[in-house]
Amino acid sequence: MFLVPLCILYGTLAYTAERAHIPLPKPDELKYRPIHFAPPAAERVLLNNGIILYIFEDNELPLLNISAVVRTGSNYDPIEKEGLAELTGTVMRTGGTDALTGDAVDEALDFLAGSLHISMNRDSGLINLSILKKDLDEGLNIFSQIITRPAFEESKLKLAKNLLIEELRRIADDPKKLAFREFKRVLYQNNPAGRFPSATSVTSISRDDLIEFHRRFFYPENLMISITGHISKEEAVAKIKQYLGSWNESRKYNVVPPIPVKQKGHIYFLSKNTPQSIIICANFAPGKKEPDAYPFEVLDFIVGSGGFKSRIFQEIRNNLGLAYSTGSFYTKRSEYGVFGAYAMTKSESTAKVLLLLRSIVEDAKTKSVDKKELAWATKSINNNFIFSFQSADQIARQQLMIEYDKLPPDYLATYRDKIADVQPEELKRVAMKYLSPDETVTFILGNESAYSQVITTFGNVCRIEDQL
Amino acid sequence: MRIFAFVLLIISMPSLGFSYELGNRVLSYTLKNGLKILMVERHLSPTVSFYIRHRVGAVDEIDGRTGTAHLLEHMLFKGTRTIGTKNYHEEQKILKLIAETGKELDIEKMKGKNTNKSRVQALSERMEVLQKKHKKWFVKNEIDRLYVENGGDNVNASTGQDLTTYHVSLPSNKIELWARIEADRMTGPVFREFYSERNVVMEERKQRIESEPEGQLYEQFLAAAYIAHPYRRPVLGWPSDMRFLSLEYTEVFFKRYHAPNNTVIAVVGDIDPANTLTIIKKYFGAIPSRHLDPSLITEEPPQNGDRRVDIVSDANPQMVIGYHKPAMPDFDDYVFDVIECILSKGRTSRFYRVLVEEKALAESVHAVNGLPGAKYNNLFAIFAKPRHPHTNAEIESAIYDEIEKLKIKPATTRELEKVKNQIKADFIRSLNSNSGLANLLSYFEAVTGSYKYITDHIKVIERVTSEDIMRVTKKYLTPDNRTVAKLVYKN
Repeated sequence: MFLVPLCILYGTLAYTAERAHIPLPKPDELKYRPIHFAPPAAERVLLNNGIILYIFEDNELPLLNISAVVRTGSNYDPIEKEGLAELTGTVMRTGGTDALTGDAVDEALDFLAGSLHISMNRDSGLINLSILKKDLDEGLNIFSQIITRPAFEESKLKLAKNLLIEELRRIADDPKKLAFREFKRVLYQNNPAGRFPSATSVTSISRDDLIEFHRRFFYPENLMISITGHISKEEAVAKIKQYLGSWNESRKYNVVPPIPVKQKGHIYFLSKNTPQSIIICANFAPGKKEPDAYPFEVLDFIVGSGGFKSRIFQEIRNNLGLAYSTGSFYTKRSEYGVFGAYAMTKSESTAKVLLLLRSIVEDAKTKSVDKKELAWATKSINNNFIFSFQSADQIARQQLMIEYDKLPPDYLATYRDKIADVQPEELKRVAMKYLSPDETVTFILGNESAYSQVITTFGNVCRIEDQL
Repeated sequence: MRIFAFVLLIISMPSLGFSYELGNRVLSYTLKNGLKILMVERHLSPTVSFYIRHRVGAVDEIDGRTGTAHLLEHMLFKGTRTIGTKNYHEEQKILKLIAETGKELDIEKMKGKNTNKSRVQALSERMEVLQKKHKKWFVKNEIDRLYVENGGDNVNASTGQDLTTYHVSLPSNKIELWARIEADRMTGPVFREFYSERNVVMEERKQRIESEPEGQLYEQFLAAAYIAHPYRRPVLGWPSDMRFLSLEYTEVFFKRYHAPNNTVIAVVGDIDPANTLTIIKKYFGAIPSRHLDPSLITEEPPQNGDRRVDIVSDANPQMVIGYHKPAMPDFDDYVFDVIECILSKGRTSRFYRVLVEEKALAESVHAVNGLPGAKYNNLFAIFAKPRHPHTNAEIESAIYDEIEKLKIKPATTRELEKVKNQIKADFIRSLNSNSGLANLLSYFEAVTGSYKYITDHIKVIERVTSEDIMRVTKKYLTPDNRTVAKLVYKN
C-alpha cells in the first residue's frame, strides 16, 4: 500500500517536467491543410439485356468483388409463406445449378477460397462474390449459374428449412434479437415489414415455391451489378457479357409492397425473465427522397446518434450511469424512415429511463437548438462523409444504390451542402411534425418487476406474446 | 476478445501483389522513449486509420480488482488536464473531494450487514452536491466531440485479456489532432465521473453476460478451464469487484502500464510518412519511458482430468469444449490454425459436412484457436449448438468422433491445400481496409514483439503436414486436457 502514493507522485512529476517545454496547442485551434473531396465516380454501363453495371478499378490487391443487387426481398413473401425469400437465397447458394451439384459448388468455391454469399433484406437481395483475380472465370461461371439456373436440390432445401426453424427456436435466447423482431412486428402492423417467418410458415414452403419466387424476381432488368478491384472497365464489361450477356428473359414488373402507415401511439410490453430491460420508442420519419430527411438526420444526431456528445447518451449514460447502450437511430429507406430512441437498463430503472427518453425527445420540440450544438452536428456529419468512400466496393455500391433507390443523380454531390444549410428552427419543425407522442410506438422487453413499474407509472400498457 | 482470436487465424503471407510486398511497405520506427511506430502509406481514400495498443489487459489485474483494465479504458474518454476542463486548477480541488468521499462511501458500503445506513445517506448526499459543483468546471465528452466533429470514424477502444486498444480513423489532414489528443491522454488523463462510469460498466455486464446465455456459458467455461492463470477471470470483472473498483488503484494501474515503452502505434492510409513521424515525435517524443515491472502471472498447472460444468438456464442447449495448448509462436499453434480450418471453415469443413448435413445433429459447430487471449498458453475451443430434439450429449460424442478421425487418418493433400488457400485469401481480404491493416500490424507487434509474425506466418503454415496434424491432435485433444461447459434446461 505504501507504493501507491509514491507511484502517483512520480507520475505527476514526470508529467510536469516533460510538459514544461512543450506548450500544447488548443485542439480547436489546430490548423489543417484543406481537403477537397469529391466522391470518386464509378463507371456505369448498360448491357443490351438490361443489366446495369457499375465498375471501379483498384489494382492494389489481387482481388475482385462482384455484387448483384436484385429488386426483391422478404417484403414480397406471400402471406403464410414468410421465409420464402430467405430460403430462396439460401438454396440458390447451396442447392446446385443445372450443371453443378450443390456439393460441387461448395467444393469448388472452398478450394479457390472464394466467398459467395446471398442475403435477402426486406426490399432487396444481394449476391456477393469475392474471388482472387486468377480465379475470376471459375468464380463468374458459378456466380452466373447460381443467378440464372439454380437447381434447388430437395435435400438442401430440407436442410435450409430445418436450420431456419432451429434459428427461430433460438431467437428467444437472445434478448436483443427478440426485442427488435417483436418491436418491428408492432411497429409495422398490417404491413409486410411486420411479418416474420415462423416454424409453421417455413414448414409450408416447397421447392416449387422457391422456383416460382426465383422466376418472378431474377431477370436481367431487375438486377444491377457492381464489379470492383483488379480489373479494367473493358475487361469487366467483357467478362459480364461472357457469363450473363446471353441471359435474355423478361418479366412483368412486380408490384412494390405498400409502405407502412403510422400507428396510434401505445406502450407494448413483452415479458421475459431477464435482469435488463430493452426499451425502444419509435416514430415514422421522413424517407431519403424527402427534403425533411436532412434536418431530421441532424436532429437524430443531436438527440441520440451522434456518439458521446448526443443528448440521450450524456443524460442516461454519463450523468446517471443508467445504461451502457443508449441513444437513437434513424433508418432511412427511399419512401419512409423510422426514428427510435432506445436504452438497455437494469429492471429497477425501466420506468425512469422511459420517462427520460420521452422528455429528451419532447425537449427537441419545445427548445431551440443552440448554434454551437447545431454546428457540431453538421460539421460532424459532413466531415465523416468521406468514410462512405473508403474502398472500391463501397464507392461503386454507393452509386449503384442511388440508382436502385431512384434518388436524384446529384444526391451524393449535394448531400453535404444540404446538411450544412439546416437551420435551428427546422429541427424544431421536423421534431413537431414527426415525433408526436400520439404516434409513438413504445416497445419494452423486460421481466415482471419491470412490468409492474411500467403499468404503475404509465397506466395503459398492452402486453404482447412473442410469435416464434 | 473473439476478434483477436479471429485475427490469429486469418494471418498468412500470400504469394501475390501487395500482400507479397507487405513486409517492405511497413515502415517501423522506435522512438528514444521506446514507443514503437508502424506506418503504411496508401492513397485510395483521403483517410487514415490509427491504432494504439498498450501491452496491458485484464491479465495484469490483481485479484479483488478485476475489471480495472476495462474501467480504465472507459475513464480515458473523460478528458485530460487540458481537454474537457474550464479551469483545471479549480476543478482539481473538487475532484479530490469527490475521490475522498467516494472512497469513504465504498468503505462504508463494503461493511455489508454492518453498514451504517445514515452515514451512507450523508455521504451520498455530499457526493451529489460535489458532483453538481464539479459540473461547473468541466465539459463532458470533449475527446469524443473533437474526434467526431473532425470527421472521426469508428472512435472506440477495447480491452482484452492481453491488450488495451484505442482506435480511430480521420480525414488525412487531421493527423495532428490525433497526436495532440492521444499523447495527452497517455500522460495527463483526468478520471472524471468515475463513480457513475462504474455503474455504466455494471450495465455493460448485465447486457453482455447476465442477459445473454452465451455470455454466461463462456464466462463459466473459462473459470473452469483455468484454475490458476488469470485467463480464468472475465475481462469485465466479477460483479462484487466491479461494484467497488477503486479510483486510486485505477490510477496506479494506468501509471504502471501506459508507458511509451509498453505501447505500439500503427498509422495506415493517406500519409506522408516523414511528416507523420515528425508530428508523432513532436507530441509523443518527450513522454518519458518508464521502468516496467512485469506483472506476476501465475502459470496454469497441467490439467489432469476431464472438467465438466453445467450452467442452468432457460435457453436452448449449447456447449463449449476447450483444450489447453501453447500460444504463438509455438509451431503447434500454427498446426492448430490449420486444424481449425479443417474442422470448421466453410460448408466443406468436416464439422459442417458431418454434424450439420449428414447426421443433422447440429445447428452450428465452430472451432476457434486461441481463446481467451494469445499472449499466454491458451485454448483450442469448439462451440456447438444441437438441433432440436438432439442433445448436447449427442453432439458432444459426434465432435469426439471427428477429433478421433484426425488422430488416425491423415488429411488428404487436397484438403490441406484447400485450407492453406483459404488462409492466404482471407489474409488478402483483411488488407482491404486501412483500419484492418492497422489492426493487424499493431496487434501482432504488441503480442509477439514483431509485426513480421504476419509476413512469416504463411511460410510456417506451408510447412504443416498431415503428420503434424495427427501428432498435435493426439498430444492435446485428449479427454484429460479437456473442459466441457454446457447450458442445461431449468427443470
